Amino acid sequence: MSQESIVDVRDLEVKFYTYAGIVEALDGVNLSIKKGEILGLVGETGCGKSVTSLSIMRLVPPPGKIVGGRILYKYGSVQGNVLEMSDHSLRKLRGKDVSMIFQEPRAYLNPVYSVEDQIGEVMLVHKKEEILQNAVSAIEKKLIENRRIALEKQRVRLEKQKTRNKKDKMKLEERRARLEKEISKLASKPPSNFEVRIYKRLIRSPRSRIVAFQARFSRKRQFKKELRKEVVRVLRSVEIPDPERVARMYPHELSGGMAQRIVISMALSCNPTLLIADEPTTNLDVTVQAQILNLIVTLKKGLGSSILYITHDLGVVAQSCERVAVMYAGNIIETADVFETFSNPLHPYTRALLRSIPRPGEPFRSIPGFVPSLVNPLPGCRFHDRCEYAMEICRKTKPPFFEVKPSHYVACHLYGGLK
Amino acid sequence: MRPRIAEWRFMLKRIRQSSLAVAGLLILLAFVAIAVLAPVLAPPYSSDPFIVPADRLLAAVTPSPTPPTTAHIFGTIGSDQGQFDLYYICIWGTITAFRVGVLVVAASLLIGLIIGTAAAFYGGILDEVLMRFTDVIIAFPTLVLAMVLAIAFPGSIPINFSMVMLAVSLIVMFALLAIRPDRRLMLVDLLIIVFSLYSVFSFPLNVQLGLSQLDKVLFAITIVGWPGYARVIRGEIMRVKNEDYVEASKASGSSDFRTIIKHILPNSIYPILIVATLDIGSIVLTTAALAFIGVGAPVNYADWGQAISRAQSWISSADLIIKNMHVFVIPGLFIVFFVVGWNLLGDALRDVLDPMMRRR
Amino acid sequence: MTNLFAYIIRRLIMLVFVILGVTILIFAITMLLPLNIRALLYINNPQHFHELIEPTIKAYGLNDPFYMQYGRWLSQVLQGNLGTSAYFSQPIAEAIAQRWPLTVEIVIFAAPIIIFVGIFIGVQSAIHRNTPIDHASRVFAVLGWSLPSFLVGMTLLAIFYGWLHVLGPGSLSDSTRLYVSSLPHYVHYTGMDIFDGLLNGVPWISWDALLHCILPTVTIVTIDVALLIRVMRSSMLESLGKPYIITARAKGLDEKVVIYKHARRNALIPVATLSGMLVAGLLGGLIITETVFGFGGLGQFAADAARNFDTPAVLGYAILSAVVFVIANLIVDLLYAYIDPRIRLD
Repeated sequence: MSQESIVDVRDLEVKFYTYAGIVEALDGVNLSIKKGEILGLVGETGCGKSVTSLSIMRLVPPPGKIVGGRILYKYGSVQGNVLEMSDHSLRKLRGKDVSMIFQEPRAYLNPVYSVEDQIGEVMLVHKKEEILQNAVSAIEKKLIENRRIALEKQRVRLEKQKTRNKKDKMKLEERRARLEKEISKLASKPPSNFEVRIYKRLIRSPRSRIVAFQARFSRKRQFKKELRKEVVRVLRSVEIPDPERVARMYPHELSGGMAQRIVISMALSCNPTLLIADEPTTNLDVTVQAQILNLIVTLKKGLGSSILYITHDLGVVAQSCERVAVMYAGNIIETADVFETFSNPLHPYTRALLRSIPRPGEPFRSIPGFVPSLVNPLPGCRFHDRCEYAMEICRKTKPPFFEVKPSHYVACHLYGGLK
Repeated sequence: MRPRIAEWRFMLKRIRQSSLAVAGLLILLAFVAIAVLAPVLAPPYSSDPFIVPADRLLAAVTPSPTPPTTAHIFGTIGSDQGQFDLYYICIWGTITAFRVGVLVVAASLLIGLIIGTAAAFYGGILDEVLMRFTDVIIAFPTLVLAMVLAIAFPGSIPINFSMVMLAVSLIVMFALLAIRPDRRLMLVDLLIIVFSLYSVFSFPLNVQLGLSQLDKVLFAITIVGWPGYARVIRGEIMRVKNEDYVEASKASGSSDFRTIIKHILPNSIYPILIVATLDIGSIVLTTAALAFIGVGAPVNYADWGQAISRAQSWISSADLIIKNMHVFVIPGLFIVFFVVGWNLLGDALRDVLDPMMRRR
Repeated sequence: MTNLFAYIIRRLIMLVFVILGVTILIFAITMLLPLNIRALLYINNPQHFHELIEPTIKAYGLNDPFYMQYGRWLSQVLQGNLGTSAYFSQPIAEAIAQRWPLTVEIVIFAAPIIIFVGIFIGVQSAIHRNTPIDHASRVFAVLGWSLPSFLVGMTLLAIFYGWLHVLGPGSLSDSTRLYVSSLPHYVHYTGMDIFDGLLNGVPWISWDALLHCILPTVTIVTIDVALLIRVMRSSMLESLGKPYIITARAKGLDEKVVIYKHARRNALIPVATLSGMLVAGLLGGLIITETVFGFGGLGQFAADAARNFDTPAVLGYAILSAVVFVIANLIVDLLYAYIDPRIRLD
């Protein structure tokens, strides 16, 4: 199955310059997301999953800094290396081509603005033209209808009118003909009013300051109505009951599950190519978890997007993901198809991870040792001090990340790869 | 204890890294040096070093302030009783400033701590009543209420402020020894005891039981100040109260008092320390302001605010202001630097403790 | 919206209670005073108050229990009788009413400057963290807050009055004041010469008053703006570190929108509370600043009264000050509820 990849992360390096020292959070991450797939990104807390996802959108907050590597975005209107894109392209990318949902949804929503404010915001940036067009159509439809009714009334009146002589009859005929012509022209040249003209001008020249200034004089009622309608539609698509009421609510009035749905709706509202989901269900109840997971998968199918699903829950991975990437201490150490990963794990860490899943009747098995400190890390493979297969070379050289079997990549000296 | 020590070391390192904080510390150290060396720098003329010597010879020549000369390095402030040496006032005023600042802050802090802790810990009606009470006091702008209280306080009650502080700090020391010998708290308390002792005994013993005007002011500012601390500590305790380790402590049978001292206070005390540090400067400003209005230390007392207050009568016209500028500028600069020092330290503490508090 | 309404009602009720508490506190303080001074609280006649003391003591039963006296005193206050000032030989309420407009004159200029400049610099300081702009504003903030107001005032006077002979103390220059008192038809509409001058058709009086407001305004602004800058800065920094800012950026919003629409609105919440308290304090009288400049407003009234141990006057002033403070706080709370929807629920 050769699917094209939409995002290619190559040798990504991210460092955090903190008071305690320089934390080498990402040490050459290689990741590739294909079109329409669900890629699971697993790893322990602190291994760098979130940083990777934030990097894709260049959202790494200070004191973090992306210091090396490339993130190639290969789809949609904005292509190229995300790390070198102009601010303008970056803003077009965010929210429209790539969007993100987070772990604690209520914390990630601004508490002083209502739900419809925040969802509407995204649409205003990326879908403004579409909504303006909707507004135009809606108003024109109404105007046409009103005019038609008026004209129809006129026609009826004309019909009922009695004529006294031939001259009157001719005049009447003339008027009737004019009326018919007007009625037939309605569809092609609709009547207009100030609001519609403003909208049309906005569609034609979105950046013009003159038009923006003129737009201030209009209440833009229809536009706001259309925006609200769109917000409600989006809310309905994530199965929120009574969306009109919810739209007016504030984040602190929402439950965790509802807030997460809203965040999802916000992320999907502009039909992104890639959705990054950073542990979206970790803080939710188990039953809600299942609901949200199903929702995400269903929506993805409908939109044809790809999903980068970040989690530390292997059960979710097994259930929903098509491919898996395993991360440890700032490196991707194994990437493969999900069945392949679970049945035939190659990297010692992956194996240990799968072994440590609690099974009834068996004793607990954990991985001995601790995750290494990422401040001044040791050279070589970062797992070597906990690895049961560690060799001399593992202490000195970092293993390269390469394709051991078709579509199965590993970074481990056990499988060679050094030229 | 180990993680605590590591925390303090980290904190010190952070303080060292901030140049503003170091500047603040240096300023304060300079003032401490002045305070300690006061008897050397400006030898006292009478048994009470805080009474400024009056140069009557110079007063006979001219009653108005004189600019700096070799005899009087900073110049003098005039009065009919004799010229007061500004240098002397500034040097001994340093000790007064420290006394006022530290004692009043310590007192307000203790009262606020007790009331705030009680209100937060026991909640319910006690909390409501105490909080309404603090609301009423906070409803007054600080200076206004302090002024009112300083005036209305009866002229003589049988104790003065330093004696009160001494008694309170001794009680606290006994409490600490009985319940939980915490070295840090004991060290701070020891300092306060030493301070109060010094304050008490620096008065000649016959000035006993009347309240000097300065004492009234100190009482007044304390009464105005404690609600601030009460509110802060109450907020912190409300936050900490519901944490698991408090439940655990109660579940293991600790008395309320033990739980408070051992678990709740150490985790909620940092914001108060920041407020206290910043407050010392603020209180010195308030005292100076009150002295400026005329409600402060007596006329011949060595206090910066008092000196500036006297300056008022000598700047009534345009020329006089320029001529006698030194009378308010010099003590004024002392005040400014003193307050800046404490403010820098307080800011640095806040910058350092803030991320640490968040990490919890 | 009924939530907002209920909230307002609740706050109003609390306001009444706090004001009652304030009056009780003041009254308790008066009980510390000797009898004949307390009598002055009930007398409204500046001419012959000495003779009136004895009869007043009897008439108002100043030897009765606390609550009875409190009741009587409170009813007097509510009728507008705050007593007589021995020092000023004036009914206190009248003295306050005369002088308050002058204080307001300064506050009208000082308050907006403090608030807007403080917010602006605070926000910029937070956005450009650790750049020279930030360091400069932080240094200014620490310095400004450490300055005693009388020092700033006196220094400014020394420079502008003593050295440059430009702006002087007082709310009007002496010559202007003489002129005003000599005008037969000069009506004090607002009590503030800035406006009265215009309303009476003598604009240069307004100009003179305006000039005299400059130095006191600068004094008070220097000190208070420092506090606002510091609070705004730290609040803004905290707001910028919040998760919803990452969401806002992830939505593709322009950085300016992220900062000003999302971060700043949240950051303004604590600043609004602080500003309100600040303005409330200002309206209660700038005791020190007015005294330094001899402005003749409410603050100077309080200072003079205090210096001369005229306790009834000081107490009357304290009541007014507290009431202004409490009402201003209420307004701030309402504003707060408007900005932050979370408050409306409880």
